[in-house]
Amino acid sequence: MKNRKRQIDTQEILPPTLRIIAIVVLLIFAMIPLAYMILLSVTPDVEIGGDNLLPSQWAFGNYLQMWSTVNLQQGLLNSVFISVIASCIAVVLAVGAAYIITRFTFLGRRPYLYSLIGLQTVPGVMLLLPLFVLFASIQSLLHFMLVGTYQAVIITYLTFALPFATWLMVSYLGSIPVDLEEAALVDGATRLQALWQVIVPLALPGLVVALVFSFLTGWNDVLFASVLTSPETRTIAVQLQTFSSAQEGGSLPLYGQLMSSAVVSALPVVILYMIFQRFLIGGLTAGGVKG
Amino acid sequence: MSIQPTQTPIPETAPATVIALRPRRGGRRTPGGRPFWLLWPSVLMLILIVGIPFLIAFYISFLNLDQYTLRSWIHAPWVGLSNYLTALTTENVVGASTLVSLGVSIAFSVLTTLFITPIGILAALTVNTRYRGRTLVRALYLVPYVTPTFVTALVWRLMFLNRTGLVDRFLSATHIASINTYWLLGPNSFWAMVIADVWASWAFIYIMVLAGLQAIPSDIYDAAVVDGANAWRKLTRIVLPQLRHILGLALLLSTLNHFNNFTLPFVMFGTPPPIQADVLPLNIYVSSFQLFNFGLGGAMSVITLILMLIPGILYIRTLRLEEATA
Repeated sequence: MKNRKRQIDTQEILPPTLRIIAIVVLLIFAMIPLAYMILLSVTPDVEIGGDNLLPSQWAFGNYLQMWSTVNLQQGLLNSVFISVIASCIAVVLAVGAAYIITRFTFLGRRPYLYSLIGLQTVPGVMLLLPLFVLFASIQSLLHFMLVGTYQAVIITYLTFALPFATWLMVSYLGSIPVDLEEAALVDGATRLQALWQVIVPLALPGLVVALVFSFLTGWNDVLFASVLTSPETRTIAVQLQTFSSAQEGGSLPLYGQLMSSAVVSALPVVILYMIFQRFLIGGLTAGGVKG
Repeated sequence: MSIQPTQTPIPETAPATVIALRPRRGGRRTPGGRPFWLLWPSVLMLILIVGIPFLIAFYISFLNLDQYTLRSWIHAPWVGLSNYLTALTTENVVGASTLVSLGVSIAFSVLTTLFITPIGILAALTVNTRYRGRTLVRALYLVPYVTPTFVTALVWRLMFLNRTGLVDRFLSATHIASINTYWLLGPNSFWAMVIADVWASWAFIYIMVLAGLQAIPSDIYDAAVVDGANAWRKLTRIVLPQLRHILGLALLLSTLNHFNNFTLPFVMFGTPPPIQADVLPLNIYVSSFQLFNFGLGGAMSVITLILMLIPGILYIRTLRLEEATA
């Protein structure tokens, strides 16, 4: 009878010792590169090629110097601006589309849904090439610049953010019972009022997921931005990539400052994930994002 | 796991892949119109930014299109299938034809998926039961995955630096290999890319498996414990069979995502990359935007697209299967 006191968790699969070993090994694997990044970010640039792993002195100055070495401030602002606009457009359009898709039947509904999924398997470079050709010909036809502008980048980000956001919103709106809005409709609300006052508040977690993911696809993109941005509109990702490749020929590679810039550009994303962790995991399993 | 029509709360950790593809209005007429104009903006947008570009991609794959003919690309010389022949037979600057790049891409995506699967399952099993500090462990597991890929690539580039990187320092300190091992050049570059991607993406499998684990009814475990099953039997007789479906989806998605991973090799190796790391998206990118052979890039994209149709259709079929069983 004494054994009954300790409730055995039958869902436990790994024996406790094995579990602790596994956690330690996994965390070491996960943390070493991050620890190395942080270590290098406070190492003076001259000491990175040296014999010792640990620097003779901490160079916290890297975090101040980097702002003048790379145009980080502009890169971060560009990234925020482009990603916010693209994700807002994507989510607004997606909510409307998802509402129709989950509430009505119409011809081509199923093919539309499947093409949304299919689009997530298309390699980005496959769309970048024709979009670039299209932008270039519009430029020469209508005589205004498109490649290198914010608009061009935002439009291309929608090619991925919009299908993904729609797909996510379809799965969220689909789980909201129709009865709720029908009650509102019977009370005399219009469809739009029902959508805005009943559905949107209920789908708020889904909206947040769609918004955050669309934002992150923009923030993390290098492919589109490396072709379509000019030095003025460059996102942080492309700025770091160009900064990194510029270190090759130079006499003294500024790896310390490269890593401090990397920390600063990764931090907003990691924080965003941690804040919305609970919601985002559901979204991750829904779409399998991040290519 | 499936979202039942009557279920009000939105599951936060359960996978939301299963959706009701049929609206549940029945024959009832509800007041309020059918505001189809809500759908039009996104349909038009997708036609404009995806549909038309798709057609253009096909068209330019038959053209001799470079930076000089770009301005009036509609009038660029028609060359038929010669871009396709060039893509399949000719080597690019680093010596990789489309076929070589395809091999690299397939090996890369299949190997990384193979490596991350056991890691992800193991990680999910370590946080499946409650204990103090579990929330912290769960959060830390996610950090490599949520780190932006360009940062991951920069960090691993420095990790793999010849002589001064952490990897070479470690290898020489433990006398496994010489400190002068090159990872960013030559044959090792493929493995450098695989290791970096395994580090960055194992949590994807972890997340999917964890969601699957939570959907396994606990009475199955109880029955197994009564029958005296040990850890290994529980894993192979209960967990893995129950996870079969979500794991299949996870492996498929993972392979697709790795195949399309452009950022990691691009930032890690720069251009031109070593031939062993010249994955297909990177090869297309270099051909199109650095050698300005847009026709060739188009042909290579079309070849990629046709190949991606196979896993893509498989993916859609999986979802349709779920819909049928939902």
